[in-house]
Amino acid sequence: MIDPMTVLAILAMAGVTYLTRIGGYVVLRNRALGPRATAVMEAAPGCVLISVIAPDFVSKNPADLAALVITVIAATRLSMLPTVVIGVASAGVLRWLMGG
Amino acid sequence: MSVSEIALAEGQSTDGRGGEFRRGLAASTPVLLGIIPYALVLGAQAAQKGLSVAEVPLMTGLNFAGGSEFAAIQLWTSPPHILLIAAITFLVNSRHFLMGAALAPFINHLPKRQVFPALFLMCDESWAVGLADARRRADAGMRPAFSPAFYLGAALPFYLAWVAFTTCGAALGPVLGDVETYGFALAFPAVFLVLLRGMWTGFAAARPWLVSLVVAALTSLVMPGAWYVAAGALSGLVAAWFPAGER
Repeated sequence: MIDPMTVLAILAMAGVTYLTRIGGYVVLRNRALGPRATAVMEAAPGCVLISVIAPDFVSKNPADLAALVITVIAATRLSMLPTVVIGVASAGVLRWLMGG
Repeated sequence: MSVSEIALAEGQSTDGRGGEFRRGLAASTPVLLGIIPYALVLGAQAAQKGLSVAEVPLMTGLNFAGGSEFAAIQLWTSPPHILLIAAITFLVNSRHFLMGAALAPFINHLPKRQVFPALFLMCDESWAVGLADARRRADAGMRPAFSPAFYLGAALPFYLAWVAFTTCGAALGPVLGDVETYGFALAFPAVFLVLLRGMWTGFAAARPWLVSLVVAALTSLVMPGAWYVAAGALSGLVAAWFPAGER
């Protein structure tokens, strides 16, 4: 049920991941940043978010690309829940219509 | 109006911790929609690679970082190659350094016994929701801008849902088939796009985002694995470091 090598691998993953989680805070906790570093830190969250979803912008599934366009438009005017519902529903319907 | 604006408006009438926790719950609920199918898929894939129903929640509960878990499961062998898996986990999760750094000014004043457990729960979603809320509150003149109870309310459901639904995925396994076909793949981009809209301060400030988008998208086309996140984020930061033009 529980294999010792698997547990070791999982513990290694968990340790490494926790280090990445506390690293940014521990290093930058007591530093005042210059204007350029501040600009970088202000841009960082958006850069990470958009990088995570970037593959969706070059999806090979035309139904998903069309749904993404609809979702982008929805995101500029609506709040979170309607945007998610529109995104999921348009992808489901377009995949069904376009056989994706 | 974004979810954090609504949540903020609601939060102004409830000052207590319970109210803040519920405000966090409300802010994170739509995002939960997006992670459940991913959790089921990950659990099912892990079961295929030979992980047991006890080992899957051990991984997702201790590591709690979906991207690295997908990558690790792809590479899983019996016995697992521990160094390789640890290295890939580090690469995929290196974005946490940036995320923690962005959060640092908002959590500096908190005691370490709150900060270190809070950072354990920091994932893409809880970080984005928590940071967006802190920035809104800062802009609205509220001090302290970061609300720990709000963050806990936003982060805890992710943790519980991630562990519970990856376990379900491992137990149900092949019965599920391909949950990706139902259109849930668009839930993630939808959430992130609304969060980006909330961070929008104009085209000039968004220039590094465009650099990130283009570089990450191209990288994802030519390189396998999760390198595109690191490549996109880093090139966006380089673009932010060098201003567009001297005034």
